[in-house]
Amino acid sequence: MTLSYRQMYERAFSLAATLDRVHPSPGSAPLTAVLAYRTPTAYTGILGALLRGHGYVSLSRLLPPERTLMMLERSGARCMVVDPESVPHLRSLIPRLKEPMVLLLPEQEDVAELAGEWPTHRILGRADLDVPRDWAPVPVEANAVAYLIFTSGSTGIPKAVMAAHRNALAYIDAVVDHYAVTEQDRFSQTFELTFDGSIFDLWVGWERGACLCVPTQKELIKPGKFIRDSRITIWFSVPSTGVFMRRLGILKPNRYPTLRHSLFGGEALPLEVARSWAQAASNSAVENLYGPTEVLCTCLRYRWDPERSPEECEQGVVPIGYPNAGMTTRVVDEGLREVAAGESGELLLSGPQVTLGYWRDPERTAASFITLPGEDVIFYRTGDRVRRPHDHGPILYLGRLDRQLQIHGHRVELGEVEAALREASGVDSVLAVGWPRGASGAAGGVEAFLGTVGADPELLRRKLAARLPDYMVPRRLHFLPELPLTHHGKIDQFALFKLLEEMA
Amino acid sequence: MSVITAEAVRALLLERFASSLAAKGLEPAQVPDDFDLLTEGVIDSLGILEMISAIEHRFGLAIDFEDLDAEELTILGPLCRYVEGKSRAATSGGA
Repeated sequence: MTLSYRQMYERAFSLAATLDRVHPSPGSAPLTAVLAYRTPTAYTGILGALLRGHGYVSLSRLLPPERTLMMLERSGARCMVVDPESVPHLRSLIPRLKEPMVLLLPEQEDVAELAGEWPTHRILGRADLDVPRDWAPVPVEANAVAYLIFTSGSTGIPKAVMAAHRNALAYIDAVVDHYAVTEQDRFSQTFELTFDGSIFDLWVGWERGACLCVPTQKELIKPGKFIRDSRITIWFSVPSTGVFMRRLGILKPNRYPTLRHSLFGGEALPLEVARSWAQAASNSAVENLYGPTEVLCTCLRYRWDPERSPEECEQGVVPIGYPNAGMTTRVVDEGLREVAAGESGELLLSGPQVTLGYWRDPERTAASFITLPGEDVIFYRTGDRVRRPHDHGPILYLGRLDRQLQIHGHRVELGEVEAALREASGVDSVLAVGWPRGASGAAGGVEAFLGTVGADPELLRRKLAARLPDYMVPRRLHFLPELPLTHHGKIDQFALFKLLEEMA
Repeated sequence: MSVITAEAVRALLLERFASSLAAKGLEPAQVPDDFDLLTEGVIDSLGILEMISAIEHRFGLAIDFEDLDAEELTILGPLCRYVEGKSRAATSGGA
């Protein structure tokens, strides 16, 4: 199915006008939730929310109902647009809601049955859709919330990042010309709308009238076929997709000639993946993008260069590079003092992409969005360890701050253990953790997970011992056919810690 | 080398996804032939790529991913029969 920009607008206009004339219940936030997955309604719902002057909160039927319920309640949204495929999932959601909701099911002919089932909520269907001539989109302030996206906190309690319209506009402006996007471009839409990589997919392409190609859940399984069949010109995914494509042998030279930009973000990009991808997409620039959700999608970028880049990589990982126009970086020590060039420290970010903070959570906002002594700009503390470059070199990503451990007084970088594991095993998918965990970054030792069952543990142990100091050699190596991934395609550390707890 | 039966593949997959299936209230024996691992939410798109390589590892078989029909690839019965067919071809043709 293909929708034109006009059709998208008409549908979104109708959703917005319909919702806008329903009186909201008291205490409702200026937010509209969209429970839809890879259907036209997922996108027109977002546009409809924005046209009525609301921010949007994307929800997914693929997430556990408990999580969706938490997102909905934490957001305070009291109206929700739902696509037909998600309607069966309402049964595990609606009866548990504490507040009355307005549900708009724009493709549902008959909503009488559902309305009878949930009398406290207001259910609107296709027949209720309105196209009033006298309605106009609601203007918004630059500081109004454009969307909420939930991120998992290191404590396991999710935080809802609120991005203002001005943040999103600053981001779009910073990247749209960099990629010289035109209406001839065809964008991939690999990211779930609950993940902030989707901000690029949707808004950067739409800004210039490009075509957004939305693979179905089935088509996403075969990214190579999707790129070729949809003649994608601008690709953006997590590096894991590249890791798997490489493992499946479908990153063969010149296989994807339509690509002109290939972007990776969301986790560290392994050097080998960048190299193979650049060969498979020979007409394409390959970029590693970095950015926390709190600083809107991506705010640093590094363009792969087959000659220069291998030398600029550290621990087999591609640098995160240089800030977007308007953004400033600072690398600081524990006392928030800038470190010397060549030293490592926490990355701080300031500039127009720094979002408003965490929705209805001033405490955690104040802890992460700070001002430095003697300065008045707001910096976001990323919690990421990076190396401050010499001169005009790229910034290198070293790992999460909480991935630096103290083991019997020794400072241990888990990323370094992982680099040794990758080299010794030839396996890309590895994770090292501190275990058992102690207070403030202390740990008893290192344990490692490898996504392979074909390795010789004794040989691997000997290779690691030859390369790493004793206290860094993993005390146990755990071999799994593959490492578990989160919903967003990153290695699921929580699941692996759970595994260790079960073994203890 | 002996032929890998569809039953052996089924057993591997059911064991692998036992906990997600149990969470859906499904006993391994009850899982129907037309059960779609993807749309039922047992695995996601990257999980499928992992599943394929797990089958390759376990049975020492190379699966040409591009050959597989995306519609059927995540449905239990057709996937298991595909692997069996692949194994038969390798066994009869190989030396």
